[in-house]
Amino acid sequence: MAEKPKTRPGGGKLFYIPGGDTITRIDPWWGLVALVVVAAVVLVTVWPDPFWNILVFVRGGIIVTVSITVISFIFIMVLGLLGGLGRLSRNRVLRGFASLYVEMVRGVPLLVQLIWWYFAFPVMIHAVGKWLDFSFMIEYQANPIVTAIIGLTVCYGAYMSEICRAGIQSIPKGQMEAARSLGMSHFQAMRYIILPQSIRVILPPVGNEFIALLKDSSLVSVVAVADLTRRGREFMATHFNPIEVWTMVALIYLVMTLLSARGVSWLEKKNRFEE
Amino acid sequence: MEPIIHIENVHKHFGRVHALRGISLDVYKGEVVVIIGPSGSGKSTLLRCINHLEEYNEGRIVVDGTPLDDTKNINVVRQEVGMVFQSFNLFSHLRVIDNLALAQRIVRRRTREEAEKIATDLLAKVGIPDKAQAYPVQLSGGQQQRVAIARALAMNPKIMLFDEPTSALDPEMIKEVLDVMLALAKEGMTMVVVSHEMGFARAAGDRMILMDEGQIVEEATPDKLLTSSHERTKLFLSKVLNL
Repeated sequence: MAEKPKTRPGGGKLFYIPGGDTITRIDPWWGLVALVVVAAVVLVTVWPDPFWNILVFVRGGIIVTVSITVISFIFIMVLGLLGGLGRLSRNRVLRGFASLYVEMVRGVPLLVQLIWWYFAFPVMIHAVGKWLDFSFMIEYQANPIVTAIIGLTVCYGAYMSEICRAGIQSIPKGQMEAARSLGMSHFQAMRYIILPQSIRVILPPVGNEFIALLKDSSLVSVVAVADLTRRGREFMATHFNPIEVWTMVALIYLVMTLLSARGVSWLEKKNRFEE
Repeated sequence: MEPIIHIENVHKHFGRVHALRGISLDVYKGEVVVIIGPSGSGKSTLLRCINHLEEYNEGRIVVDGTPLDDTKNINVVRQEVGMVFQSFNLFSHLRVIDNLALAQRIVRRRTREEAEKIATDLLAKVGIPDKAQAYPVQLSGGQQQRVAIARALAMNPKIMLFDEPTSALDPEMIKEVLDVMLALAKEGMTMVVVSHEMGFARAAGDRMILMDEGQIVEEATPDKLLTSSHERTKLFLSKVLNL
């Protein structure tokens, strides 16, 4: 690839000095991030009991929440791209499957889906395993983390499919025609022309999905995953201090979502070329 | 002599609209054929059938000895046929140089150096050597269309199709595009041009075709067609020429 385009003044930069070094402007959203972080730090240092204790207790949960979110998100992107392409496929069967998947999944609450994967799915597998006499199916045990990732991926994959479909459809038809008229195959045209252009279009909604996923991952606490929310509840169960625990948990989520939002906005700026 | 494009009794339906009603046309190597006609007459559709951007329902099209019948042949034909669109259709996420180099590399399997060398030479030929690193949006319409022509030429096509190449341009930019097309015609490129630029047709056209309602109404040299006594031709020309 050729060298990267110059970013616009201030684009993607933390500090922007217009026309010299007299004024320094800070992105106001970073101010909010700073405010929340400062609030958390103040709570933790001024009242280490209980806030520091809470933080120490839930830190494993933070790692679980972040891991589940990031791992699910990778699968969601893959599934979403396949689903989006499936929805636009010329093949009626593929299109039918993709549409059925999207419509069904979007109509069931995520919480119910997670419960289904954890409690109903294993029983179904056992029954089928007994019928087919497959021992590995009979011995299937629902692993909470794996179940959580499956549940989040299947659910968010449906929404992501719609985002990808819209993104691909937003690229003018002439781009595909120009690519095909140069002798590119449909696949090459998708790979080199349509998808790279779609990425810019879908980046904002994809970023929103990531943040929504981060928050919705708190629902996996119902299927025995020791995520941030569940660790909070466990701390509460022994210490009976709801205000402190849930304020701290909320602050931690807030720091993560605000930082994600900044990350998304940085990616958007990076992906914007001069227009 | 074998025609390089052979079109035989081609029909095309868009749902209930019968867009092409039995078109037959032969184009020979080195010929410049200009197609005119009112909007909706099927001229663009015919052009788009030649490189199979549009499927036709009936008839036969053979390009450079390859019949347009299965997908394999279609990609072969598309590599030999360059197309220039009314709305340029440059790849907006790529710099000009990459717009020209990409298909050369992935379709023609040229190395990056080869492809960029050819691209640079072609940009010089169309008069914008200094815009190689620009993005399409940074160019004027006339410059974009010249890049689009260069992009098609980079594939070394045997035939060039132009679908109203100057219709989306501001008047002062039309000439720079037509000049490039004229030069191309002089070099002996086989060209099929849908355009109402009568000056270009006169200067470069070997044959001119008037289409209406999916049929060829009249076919003659530009000078003859522009002074035709055919009623339909006269009516159409009186509207486009603003006499």
